[in-house]
Amino acid sequence: MRLNGTLARGVAVAAVAALALTGCTKKNETDGGTGTGATAGETYKVAFVPKLQGVPYFEAMNTGGQKAAKELGNVEWLYQGPTQADAAAQADIVRSYIQQKVDTLIVAPNDPDSMAPLLQQAKDAGIHVATSDTDAPNSVREVFVNQASAEGIGQGLTDALMTAMGGKGKYAIVSCGQTAENLNAWIKVQQAYTKEKYPEAQIVDVVYAGEDQAKATQMATDLMNAHPDLTGLVGECTSSAPGVAQAVRDAGKVGKVFTVGLGTPQSMKPYLADKSSSASILWDVENLGYLTAWAGAQLAAGKPFAATNNVSSALPAVAYDESTKTMLLGPALAITTENVDKFSY
Amino acid sequence: MSTQTLQPPAAPVTPRGRVLPSPVTGQELILVGVIAVLWVALALTTPAFLTAGSLQPLLVATAPIALVGVGMTIVIITGGIDVSVGAAMMVSSVITAKALVEQEVALPVAVLLAVAAGGLLGLLNGLLIAYGRVHAIIITFGTANLFLFLGLQIFGSRTVNGIPATLAFFGRGQEGRTLGLPHAFLITVAITAAAWWYLRHTAGGRHFFAIGGDPHAARLAGVRVQRRVLLAYVVTGLLVGLAACFLIAQGTSTLDQSVGSGKELAVIAAVVIGGTSIMGGRGSVLGTLLGALLVQTVTSGVTQLGWKSQLSDLFVGVFIIVAVGADLLRARARARRTS
Repeated sequence: MRLNGTLARGVAVAAVAALALTGCTKKNETDGGTGTGATAGETYKVAFVPKLQGVPYFEAMNTGGQKAAKELGNVEWLYQGPTQADAAAQADIVRSYIQQKVDTLIVAPNDPDSMAPLLQQAKDAGIHVATSDTDAPNSVREVFVNQASAEGIGQGLTDALMTAMGGKGKYAIVSCGQTAENLNAWIKVQQAYTKEKYPEAQIVDVVYAGEDQAKATQMATDLMNAHPDLTGLVGECTSSAPGVAQAVRDAGKVGKVFTVGLGTPQSMKPYLADKSSSASILWDVENLGYLTAWAGAQLAAGKPFAATNNVSSALPAVAYDESTKTMLLGPALAITTENVDKFSY
Repeated sequence: MSTQTLQPPAAPVTPRGRVLPSPVTGQELILVGVIAVLWVALALTTPAFLTAGSLQPLLVATAPIALVGVGMTIVIITGGIDVSVGAAMMVSSVITAKALVEQEVALPVAVLLAVAAGGLLGLLNGLLIAYGRVHAIIITFGTANLFLFLGLQIFGSRTVNGIPATLAFFGRGQEGRTLGLPHAFLITVAITAAAWWYLRHTAGGRHFFAIGGDPHAARLAGVRVQRRVLLAYVVTGLLVGLAACFLIAQGTSTLDQSVGSGKELAVIAAVVIGGTSIMGGRGSVLGTLLGALLVQTVTSGVTQLGWKSQLSDLFVGVFIIVAVGADLLRARARARRTS
């Protein structure tokens, strides 16, 4: 991992150096153009850097972004992420987009704190900056495209699990990256909401498995052993959601220990079918990608967001909150055996 | 390693006249003791650590690391290292998972496919290292990135969904056990035992140690160094393939690109904690199995105690440093005895 990062950095430095050498004249041309009002027919380069590429979640966002680029007509959608959810590798890609002088740079940061100075650097270079999927709250980002409010997801997960558990009992959370801003925000809501609305229920532990499915499964198994009276598990991300369900299935505890999670529909399908997972809470990821591309184009064009925005036929009324500069995709979606086949990812 | 050719050759026979090292090293005895103490402590402090429902999954989780650790131990004994095993696991896993989903292959076919894929990747490493004469860490670091690229190409920006339960024989569930013992762990123990016997009691096995001690002296003594080195990496590759089957079996019905990620470090940690010298020439596969078991015990123990997850990283780090420190102290003591 360490060595890997070092090499990636070396390659990126070389690539950036090459870009810097070839890009000198170009830089002067675009310097005057950014930030000013747009003329009709101009195309904006909107770059999105996911936490990692190649996973169905972010690939679905990419599909949505490409769709938006095609429909809006004035967006060139760029998409590149690291092959591992590594903050250093992600930073290299962000730097290369800064060097390319894209019009809008949108990031789903692996580590919000280390991303903040890079976003400042991008802003200083005249690039519009935004976050999507995961926020970097202490940064200069102009908008955060939020898939669902932390309340919506945290409460959706809790309600779905409590329905299965009968509103009471002990449960534990298997989370992923320990510094992931969005996961931690949802967990906070789950803790507060459980305490307030389900006084007979209790969260006994929160553990972190990284993006490793097998580790998430083993940790869920260990949690069931640590708490013999445990009746619920939450898989907080797309790798631990099927992981906790698999652990329950392997332990032969389907119907005794209930699980919910944030899993992509196709990966949850077999677990929803045998009831080792009661529900998956998610949102329409392709629409999130669409909204991200649209917001990027708005920023590049210098157009302000309205309180309610008509983005597309599928997104007729997207709310924008001026005080937090947050754009909200909509309410969270519960995926069950009934609607799982509607999603291709 | 290679700068010592001008030194007088060390006596091949230890002072007491033994040709073979003792069957169990001091480090292994210490590890057995540490694991025993931890198991007892965890049994007393957690509700269910020492029950079948907890130990069976623990052994299943230990298996892939310990299994690849057998190959890695041999590689490190020859003075090499293989940092590409994580990426090679990913390639073997995705090929096998795709075959399971798309061709609906049976268990033996899946295992053969995984082992063949792993073996080929190991062969590539071995050829480059044995005949290219570049240090193993550089070669395998290069191939690790090649394998990563290859694996991601095969994934094609999608996860492999709906993997059938064909490999459940190696898994954590009921189908993965006979008489309460997980198959994945039994296979790992059997392969470790075979490798232990081969390394200790056959001339071919002893040659690996000779190469790690001093490759030039080994060559002069008639050891076919390049063939032996090649064999070490091929064996590692074959075991990577089998371990990939274990990983699929203990994962979910979806395989994503994070499979195998960072496993090379977990394997090397198990080898080093097991007492194998990172400088080559000395080591034991039994120690590696115990090292892997200790790491998994700590990881599971931390979760079952309700401690913070990151503490297991701290403990593993301390174990590695202590193990390497002990190895250095032993090396110094030996140097004093022979000088």
